[in-house]
Amino acid sequence: MRTEVVIKYLGIILLVNAAMLFVAFLISVLLQETSTIPLLFSTLVCVILGIFPLIFVERVHDISFQEGLSIVVIGWTMTCIAGMLPYIMWGGEFSLVNAFFESVSGYTTTGSTILTDVEALPKGLLFWRASTHWLGGIGIVAFVLLILPKSRNPRLKLMNVEISEIARQNFRYTTRRVLGMLAGVYLLLTLAETLLLNLAGMGLFDSIAHSFATIATGGFSTRNLSVAYYDSLAIEIIIVVFMVLSGMHFGLLFTTFTGKPQNIFRSKVALSYVGAMAVGMLLVAANLYWLGYHSPGQALRTAMFQVASVGTTTGFATEDTAAWPSFSILILIWFTIQCAMAGSTSGGLKFDRVYLMVHSLRKQLRLLKHPNAVVTLRIDGQVIDESLERQTLVFILMYVLVFVTSTLLLTLLDVSLLTAFSASIACLGNVGPGFEHVSSMGNFSELPAAGKFVLSIVMLLGRLEIFSVLGFLSTLRGR
Amino acid sequence: MKNRLKLKILAGFGLLVAMLASAGAFSIFEFYRMSRSLNALIDDNYKTIVASRAMLEALEREDSGILMLMLGQWDEGRHIIGSADSAFMHAFIQAENNLTEPNEGAYVEKVRMSYRDYKTLWERPIAGTERQGDMLWYQHELHQAFLQTKAEVNALMELNQQSMYDEATLLEAKSKRAMMPGIMAILSAILFSIMFNFFISRYLVAPLREMSGALQRYNFQSPELKVNIRSNDEVRALADELNHLLRRMWDKLGLK
Repeated sequence: MRTEVVIKYLGIILLVNAAMLFVAFLISVLLQETSTIPLLFSTLVCVILGIFPLIFVERVHDISFQEGLSIVVIGWTMTCIAGMLPYIMWGGEFSLVNAFFESVSGYTTTGSTILTDVEALPKGLLFWRASTHWLGGIGIVAFVLLILPKSRNPRLKLMNVEISEIARQNFRYTTRRVLGMLAGVYLLLTLAETLLLNLAGMGLFDSIAHSFATIATGGFSTRNLSVAYYDSLAIEIIIVVFMVLSGMHFGLLFTTFTGKPQNIFRSKVALSYVGAMAVGMLLVAANLYWLGYHSPGQALRTAMFQVASVGTTTGFATEDTAAWPSFSILILIWFTIQCAMAGSTSGGLKFDRVYLMVHSLRKQLRLLKHPNAVVTLRIDGQVIDESLERQTLVFILMYVLVFVTSTLLLTLLDVSLLTAFSASIACLGNVGPGFEHVSSMGNFSELPAAGKFVLSIVMLLGRLEIFSVLGFLSTLRGR
Repeated sequence: MKNRLKLKILAGFGLLVAMLASAGAFSIFEFYRMSRSLNALIDDNYKTIVASRAMLEALEREDSGILMLMLGQWDEGRHIIGSADSAFMHAFIQAENNLTEPNEGAYVEKVRMSYRDYKTLWERPIAGTERQGDMLWYQHELHQAFLQTKAEVNALMELNQQSMYDEATLLEAKSKRAMMPGIMAILSAILFSIMFNFFISRYLVAPLREMSGALQRYNFQSPELKVNIRSNDEVRALADELNHLLRRMWDKLGLK
C-alpha cells in the first residue's frame, strides 16, 4: 500500500471540509459572531494540512483496493476529527468528547446531539453543524470523487468501497454517471426543500439548515424543540415528503424523475419500503388515538411525522415519543432497526437487507419442502447470487454483534437498560433519537464521556457498514 | 524541474510558519479582546457599583442627619445632611455618566425620582417646626422614602453586579478560546511535522539511499542503475544524470 497516495486523498477530503468551513466562517463574519475565529482557524488548519500532500505527491493513475479501504475508513475518521475543531475551539457545552460526538453524529447523519441548548450556538456554528450532515449524507468520499480529475480507476475503486454491494444493485451505470446522478439528485432535493420550507414560512437560514439535515437524513435542527418549534402542518408535510424521498435509493429517484421505465413504482423494494412505513404510520396513529393520547387528526399528523423521521433515519421530532404507549414505541424501535433503503443517504442496516433476508427465508423454506429444486432468488427482476445472500446474513450478524456489545458497554457504565439499548440501536442505525433519556426531545448530554465515545465509534461503524472497517483492520494486520 | 524540490521544502516550511503565525495572531487577538473585556468589567460595572455604594453610604448619613434634626440639633444635622447630599449627587452623576447595561438608564432614573421625593421631604425645615420629634411622620413618610431610595440604588447595584458576574463567566470561556488556537496549532504542527518528515524521507532520503545502494552494488552488467523514483524533481534529474553518465562511460569503455 502506498501511504503517500492515501495521504494525498486524505488531503483532498480535508480541502472539501475546508470549503464548507469557509462558508460557515463567512456567515459568522457577516453576523459578527463569537464563532468567527474558531471557524477561520479550523479552515486554515484544514487547508494547510490538506494542501501539503498535493504539493509532494504526483498525480495518481491507479489505486489498489486496500488503498481505497484506507482512504474511506481513515478519511471518515479524520473528517470527524477535523469537524470537531470549530466546536472545541468555540467552547460552551463542547468538551473534547462532546465535540467528537457532535461531529461524528453530524457526518454520519445520525443527528444525536449532546447540546441542551442548540439555540445558544452562533449561526456560523449552526451552519457548520448542518453542513457536516450535508457532506456526510452524500458521503465525504463521494464528494472527493466528484472533484477529482477524470481518472476512472481511482473513482471505481473508491466507489466500490464507499457504496455497499447491496446499494450498487440498483446503480446500473458507469461510476462517473452514478456520481453525477447522486450529486444531481442530492442538489435538486436540497434546493427544492429549501425553497418549499421558505415558502411555508420558515426563515431562510433555518430552511437551508433543515433541508441539509433532511436530505442527508440527519436530524440536526436549529431549534431546541426541533420541528415542533414551528408548529406548522405545511412545514411538517414538506419535511415528511423529503424525508421519505431521501430515504429511497437515489438511482431509483433519478430514473423516476427522468421518466425511465425502471422507477420507484416498478421497484418492489421501494414499494415495500413505502408500504411498511404507511402501515407503521397507521398503526401508531390508531394506537395514539385509541389510548386517548390525541384526536384522530393530531394522532395521524404526529404518527406520520415520527414514523417517517425514524423510518428514514432522520431523527427530527414534533413530539416526545418517550411518552408514547409501548406499542407505538415498539413500532418505532422496529423502524430504528430496519432503517431506510440502500443507495440513499442513510446509514444502518438498510431496508433492502431486511427485504432480502425475508425472501431468502422464503427460499430456504421452499428448499426444505423440495430439497432438489433449483430456486433462484430474484429481487426487482435481478437474480441475487448466493454470495450476496451470505454477505447480507453475515452483515446482519455483525450488526447485531456490534449492537449487543455497545449495549453491554453502556450498561457497564451504569446507563439504564432502555437508554443503552435504544441509544445503541439508534446510533448504529444512524437514526438519532432513542428512548428514555435520549428520546426525540432529549439529548445525549447526560451519558458518561466513555459512553459518548463508544456511541461515536458505533455511529461510524453504522455509517461505514462494518465491513469496510473490518477490511481496513485486516489490511493493517496483513501489513 | 529546476528548483522543484527546493520549492516543495520551502512550501512545507512556509505552511508550517503560516499555521504557527496564524495561531499566534489569533491567540494575541483573543487575549487582546479578553483584556478589553477585563477593562470594560472594571471601567463599566465596577465604577457604577462603587458609585452605588457611595450613594448608599450618603443615604445612611442623611438619615442620621435627619434624626439629629428631629432631636433639634439644627447645625450638626444640617451639616451632615449637606455633605451627604453633595456626596450622593457626586456618586449619582458618576452612575448617570456610566450607563453600560441595557435598560440601566431606567434604573438610574428611578434612583433620581425616589431621591427627589425623599429630598423634598427633608429639605423643608424640621427643627423648630411641628415635625421636630414627630416620630410617626418620620416612620411613615421620611423613612419609607429613605427605604425606597435605598431599594432603587440597590437594584442599580445588583444590575451591575449581575452583569459583572456574567462577564466574568464569559471571560473564562474567552480565556479558553484564546488558548485553543495555540493548542490546536501545536497539535497540527506535530501532525504536519510527521507528514513533512514522511515526505522528505519518502521523496528525498529514500531515493538517495536507493541510488547510493545501487551504485555500491553496481557490477558493470548493465549501463542502467535501477532505482525507483516517485517524484519528478531534482532527485529524478540526478538519477537520470547518473544513468546518462553510466551510458557515456559504457560507450567510452566500449562495453556492451
